Amino acid sequence: MLYFRYGRLWNSFLNALGAEVVESGETTRSILTSGVSKAENESCLPVKVFYGHVLALKDKVDALFVPRLVSVKKNTHTCPKMLGLPDMAKSAVGEKVDIIAPTIDFHFGLWTNYRAVYSTGRRFTRNPAKIISSGIEAWKEHGSYLEKLTMGVDHKQALEGGSEQRLCEGRELRVGVIGHHYNVYDTFTTMSLLERLGAMGVDVMTADMVPETLRELELKKLPQEIYWSYEQEIAGAILACGRYKLVDGIIFMISFPCGPDSIIRVLCEQEIRSMDTVPMMTLVMDEHTGEGGFLTRIEAFVDMLRRKKDRAEADNRVVVAV
Amino acid sequence: MKISWPHMGSLEVVLASVFEELGLEYVPAPPNSERTLELGARYGPEFACFPLKTTLGNFIEAIEAGADTLIMVAGRGPCRFGYYAETQRRILEDAGYEFEMVPLTFHLGKMPLLMRQLRRLKQSASWTSLARAVKIALSKAYLIDRLEQQALHQRYLDRDKGATTSALKECYEMVFQCDGYDRLRRVEREGFELLHSVPKTERQPIKIGIIGEFYLVLEPFFNLQVEEQLGYLGAYVERNIYLTDWLRPSGNKPIAGHHDSESEEAARPYLTHAVGGEGLHSVGNTVLFHRHGFDGVVHLMPFTCMPETIAKSILPMVSQDLGIPVLSLVIDEMTGKAGVATRLEAFVDLAHFRRRAHRQELPLAPQPAF
Repeated sequence: MLYFRYGRLWNSFLNALGAEVVESGETTRSILTSGVSKAENESCLPVKVFYGHVLALKDKVDALFVPRLVSVKKNTHTCPKMLGLPDMAKSAVGEKVDIIAPTIDFHFGLWTNYRAVYSTGRRFTRNPAKIISSGIEAWKEHGSYLEKLTMGVDHKQALEGGSEQRLCEGRELRVGVIGHHYNVYDTFTTMSLLERLGAMGVDVMTADMVPETLRELELKKLPQEIYWSYEQEIAGAILACGRYKLVDGIIFMISFPCGPDSIIRVLCEQEIRSMDTVPMMTLVMDEHTGEGGFLTRIEAFVDMLRRKKDRAEADNRVVVAV
Repeated sequence: MKISWPHMGSLEVVLASVFEELGLEYVPAPPNSERTLELGARYGPEFACFPLKTTLGNFIEAIEAGADTLIMVAGRGPCRFGYYAETQRRILEDAGYEFEMVPLTFHLGKMPLLMRQLRRLKQSASWTSLARAVKIALSKAYLIDRLEQQALHQRYLDRDKGATTSALKECYEMVFQCDGYDRLRRVEREGFELLHSVPKTERQPIKIGIIGEFYLVLEPFFNLQVEEQLGYLGAYVERNIYLTDWLRPSGNKPIAGHHDSESEEAARPYLTHAVGGEGLHSVGNTVLFHRHGFDGVVHLMPFTCMPETIAKSILPMVSQDLGIPVLSLVIDEMTGKAGVATRLEAFVDLAHFRRRAHRQELPLAPQPAF
């Protein structure tokens, strides 16, 4: 579920420890179907996809690595579903496969996290120096991966280190595609939205590419602070995009039925409406979303943005693009 | 300033008596109805959780009835509940209502904020009188909880269907009217006598536990009177949460009869970390109910509730391991009463059969996952 954010970190850590890492790869139709049949009906789409990946891996591996992220920043939480992921994985695979689930919680400072990482490492090697060095190595890799995302490199290239094609190349139109990593970067569930937008001649700006200082600035203005770490990023990015006109339009990607997003959506829609700077479209995805309807809406949205921009230029108004 | 708040079981009595004691004006929200739900679902976000919609409906009806100050609890934690106040304020403002929202922030680091919010609510009343009012209101709530528990335990014995429920209603009224500790003690005696005096029959009960998200467990209108229905079907009912237990910060639950740490301990083989809300305790209490010899567990959850969704995906494993049937009821604005009633009947029948099979030591068919 969090592979698009931490995949590089986990991979290089486990590899450096001498473990053989088997990935479930891209989401496919069969993965989604098996996930949907196994998961609870009420779970959100990413959890269903997660179940699918777990089931796809369960016969190939000795142990599954499913970290439990309680908090990735002080005074924030992740979504409850992420807290329960290892236990849900356990209920999906039964006793057959071991689950490695280090608990990462930044409420209690670095020491508990260090211990969690260390105890994970001890499963593979008895050499403490090796654990620490691979941890540091992995953290560096992770940093460079995140930096690439910030620079606007497509996540696939950032993961594999191939040709560095940017999502943002200075084309005439720029659209912010903002949402959870798994809602934006997963090519199957989003029906390769990013590529399609690129093919339409549209620049894409993800939440990672919005400068962190602007996001923080926007969050400080809210009357009640948001206490989910990933939602902070999303809401901050959307509000910053709206306030500083970083983009021509925003597409807010939500998966059905995401709990925190349903709340954030109210907040963002109201704020964006009151700013009245850029249009925003909310796309809700689930396993039944049809490709046709999805595409039509995106095309219509892009067309609308284009027309709006043309008209603004025709009116000789100066459009400030930052 | 006319204060109002959303319904949640006997919370009505608690808050009303606080404001009565302080001599402040308040407008109780009109009782929960289909309209409440309709209003909440119309204005609420599409897949926000069910309690958000219902309490939103309460607010709208309260504003229509003349309230201008709304109380909601705010906080933090992985569950959405902490962000209700802010979201509902935005929705109501968008819908064009005029009001003031006072989010009571219960968080250790935010005590000064809570003080400011309380000062706004209590207006000219003094802090000591506020403390006194809260204290007696909590004593009342504690009494109500114990009376409710007594009703849950004895409802299956009713000779005339509904007698316990109407006795309980009378008790509510008595508790609400009383205005001092002396009278409260007398009301306590009278209330229990009233409940005990309900005509009874001889009947062998089955024992059913109710677990789940606290709002749904506590609010009888929206859980479709699950407790009552189970009682009439011949079940001795116990639930995992009562209002004063829920309000207690220590984690001790004297009415339900256990401590949070016990249920966390019990849940450990299945769920090792708190997931916000009641998720962990739902799993833990299922195990505890099994240990106390209950025949089945009914799990109530609002649609899209995040912690309970996790509990729900883990409960089948618990159920299979321990051999205790678990019925998960997912409730939202579309849930029909007849459907729930049918499922409860089937569930109680199943529990009866299992008990009989146990007694005669008949071989049990392998337990299917619910």
